[in-house]
Amino acid sequence: MSALSAIILRDLQLAFRAGGGSFQAVGFFSIVCVLFTLAVGPDIALITEIAGPVLWTGALLATLISLDQIYRADREDGSLDVIAATSEELALTAAAKAAAHWLSTGLPLILATPLLAILLNLTADAYFPLLMSLLIGTPGLSLIGSFAAALTVSLPRASLLISIIVSPLYIPILIFGAGAASAGAAGDPQFAANLKLLGAATLFAAVTAPLASAVALRSNLD
Amino acid sequence: MRQDAGRRCAGSFNIGGKLTKKTRRIYLALGAFAFAAAAVGLTLSALKSSITYFYMPSEIAALASTPSKAIRLGGLVETGSIEYLSPKGGSENEALVSFSVTDGGNSIKVTYAGLLPDLFREGQGVIVQGSFVDGGSVLKADNVLAKHDENYMPKEVADALKEQGYWNETSKSD
Amino acid sequence: MPGLYELANPVRFERIARPALPWLAGITFVLSALGLYYALFNSPADYQQGDSVRIMYVHVPAAWMALFCYTVVAGASAVGFIWKHPLADVAAKEAAPIGAGFTFLALVTGSLWGKPMWGAWWAWDARLTSVLILFFLYLGYISLWRAFSDKTRAARLAAILAIVGFVNIPVIKFSVDWWNSLHQPASVFRAGGPTIDASMLPALFLMAGAYMFFFATALIQSMRNELMARRCARMQAVDAQAASILVEN
Repeated sequence: MSALSAIILRDLQLAFRAGGGSFQAVGFFSIVCVLFTLAVGPDIALITEIAGPVLWTGALLATLISLDQIYRADREDGSLDVIAATSEELALTAAAKAAAHWLSTGLPLILATPLLAILLNLTADAYFPLLMSLLIGTPGLSLIGSFAAALTVSLPRASLLISIIVSPLYIPILIFGAGAASAGAAGDPQFAANLKLLGAATLFAAVTAPLASAVALRSNLD
Repeated sequence: MRQDAGRRCAGSFNIGGKLTKKTRRIYLALGAFAFAAAAVGLTLSALKSSITYFYMPSEIAALASTPSKAIRLGGLVETGSIEYLSPKGGSENEALVSFSVTDGGNSIKVTYAGLLPDLFREGQGVIVQGSFVDGGSVLKADNVLAKHDENYMPKEVADALKEQGYWNETSKSD
Repeated sequence: MPGLYELANPVRFERIARPALPWLAGITFVLSALGLYYALFNSPADYQQGDSVRIMYVHVPAAWMALFCYTVVAGASAVGFIWKHPLADVAAKEAAPIGAGFTFLALVTGSLWGKPMWGAWWAWDARLTSVLILFFLYLGYISLWRAFSDKTRAARLAAILAIVGFVNIPVIKFSVDWWNSLHQPASVFRAGGPTIDASMLPALFLMAGAYMFFFATALIQSMRNELMARRCARMQAVDAQAASILVEN
């Protein structure tokens, strides 16, 4: 396990130090929310109504643009070859990379959400369901996204291709996540059902994505 | 620094080999199976409470308060409840119309101004999108969709079935 | 120098495919003509939908083929990935654009039927959304293939994506049963027999047969094209090598 925690620790250090991806993702998230609000205009009631979906979409897009960085630097400086060659279970290593991505991107996004929610005039009842759904859903985004990053790691420029590959795989998480957020805000009993499906999607991704990532990494490196 | 870290974690892969490869694989497989089982369990439990594209009138009645946001209401157009409220000047379909949507138990009155789909008629499954007005007694529809069932047959067959009494109206209320 | 094993299969494929193609194309033509005749003239109007029911004969087989083609892509991908069979890789690659076409046809004809019947071109219900996801999956798969210049690597990676994306197929098939959706449940392949009147089934099955034979024809022809293109690329590479040796001497 020490090897896996070393990978997570190293990725976190890289992400939070100067030039790291964490702050960029949070910045992008804020900009998406602000742009959306400006485009909608001064209709406060409408902004309140779409706040949950906008925050979910913003978090998803911010995750999307950060995916390319998961394996890129490791591939360029050669450490990915070392990791793949010495790793006892490449799937576990891929899971650690996804975990590091969530800790350095997903978690900061969730922490930034309450602040942005104030800008979007989110109602008080809606905070808990929104944060809850993000907490359950964003690990799934990191897992599925790390698979797409592993698929394209040997390509020179892949961020656009990653978006095309990963979007259809993200749709269920977005539907159940945003659905849970708005159902919870309305006091609707479908909150629990949406949250369960969201949890199922993340768990399913936790099983399949590391395995598929490992196979994809091996195919890309040989 | 990055190179350094790479070497550090690469080295540590060889330490801590207490588990043999086989037992580690078994643990991993068990873990994966537990995750997958939990995912299936959550899905089944969520489907039991049925995620819906629309609400039935009884589900609305069971809610603590009438929803303030726009909702989708699904059910059958109650027989004899269709009323054209505006004078039938132009096309009948364009008229302001009111009808009740029922699921056998409860029914909810709906008003709608606009073009109705071809399949709209008494006893037909419909999905109405709109929000409650008049203190929650009437649903003002922005949109009326007719839900088709899985039965396809020529008109003569449908008539013959009705004549012989084999027609099962409730089978269309899915 | 490509191994003998790699060459042997495409050669055998060509030997079978070339004489089979005219037959497949002929059957496609006959079934399409018969199917369209039945669909447009020799089948009854529906008791509720009237003549709009005829859209079903184009729409429903296209939706079946959308799922079937993806199954072919995923199946061929699995064969290509596990046994490293080059022909299976080519089959998976070439089936995807055809499947994307059928998916697009199903979406468009469904929309054309939905406007008069439901009263909306599009509704975000489970069946429609999951078929749209399928369309995007096809696009992602095709894009991934096109991104790599190394065909062997592209085949392996695209295969992984196709197999992972296969989870969407049962979701599409059962979405109308699991969720309370706007789209009607299955009418033909369902427990308890079809709920379509027997007089409408010939047109439906003729069209389904026409689509299936069209798929076979188009798949085999585009596989031949792809194999030919790869052979050209290999010969050009050999030519270039020979030329460079001549220049050096």
